[in-house]
Amino acid sequence: MDDKPISVVDTNVLLNLATPVVDGRPAAPTGADPLKALLSSYHVHVPTSVIGELSAATGSDDLLSAAADLVLKASHHLTTHDVEAKIDEPLDYGLDQGESDGIWLANTLDAPLFITDEFNSTNYLFVSLALDDRNTLFTTPHVLCKLASHEVLPSEYVDAALSYYVDSKGWDEQYLNQLRHKYLRD
Amino acid sequence: MAEEKTRVDFNAPASIVERADNAAELLDISRTQLLIDALQDELDGLADDDGFRSRLRDAYYDERVDFQTVKSVLGQEEAMRMKLLRASIDREPPEPQLKAELPTDEEFYDGEVPVWRSDEAGDGDDAESTA
Repeated sequence: MDDKPISVVDTNVLLNLATPVVDGRPAAPTGADPLKALLSSYHVHVPTSVIGELSAATGSDDLLSAAADLVLKASHHLTTHDVEAKIDEPLDYGLDQGESDGIWLANTLDAPLFITDEFNSTNYLFVSLALDDRNTLFTTPHVLCKLASHEVLPSEYVDAALSYYVDSKGWDEQYLNQLRHKYLRD
Repeated sequence: MAEEKTRVDFNAPASIVERADNAAELLDISRTQLLIDALQDELDGLADDDGFRSRLRDAYYDERVDFQTVKSVLGQEEAMRMKLLRASIDREPPEPQLKAELPTDEEFYDGEVPVWRSDEAGDGDDAESTA
């Protein structure tokens, strides 16, 4: 058993990490693989429902489908948990089932890291409330910056990837700039 | 609601004051009321303006404006979201543990990495790659 920290992630995090890897357009960053970096540096645990959500996203000829294909090709690096069979009372914070399952799993595993990309909306408040320890809550861009500071990913790649997410997903640019300032530019 | 009032003096171009007075007279309201209404409209509009919201986020994350200011402009939930997000920047995610180099694509994935290209892009000149 190695000492990789346990991380719980939701479906969107995996899809967002895979997207720049499969995106062949010129605007996409190249030269590194954030999905591989995360799954190689942490023990990533997910509710079984994530696999179903990924499968549901495949089958069309679009970027999301290609990203879901890639995550499924790496799914043997994920540790899955049948959460639904174990939850007595579902969390009721207005979050969707997948997110609620993930938070339940993070609480149950006492995971030191729960990653969400729900930080652009007030859902972030609910995720924070639902976690037993809100200090374990981080976002994909924050973790990417952390991976860059440990040289698991090149800083230039993460810098370009943050811009890519701002353009393609409308992520809070001012927040990402704060992360850049802290991790990527001394 | 009888909120406390602050007296404000300011100089403005005579022509715009004249226009304001004419409008106030037609509306049968005081000049002061017209100015208050105009300020209120302007501030409400800014709260919905993306450029202004960006500036406000920047200022809050940089600690140049406080929580109450953000809350008064963007509302309680958005201000709380930003407060939690700002606090999270100072925390550190657990240290990533990577003993060796990252594995190759062949080792890591079951097969090749799919590459997606949009159909409308007619410049498909970059070489097919699995990087």
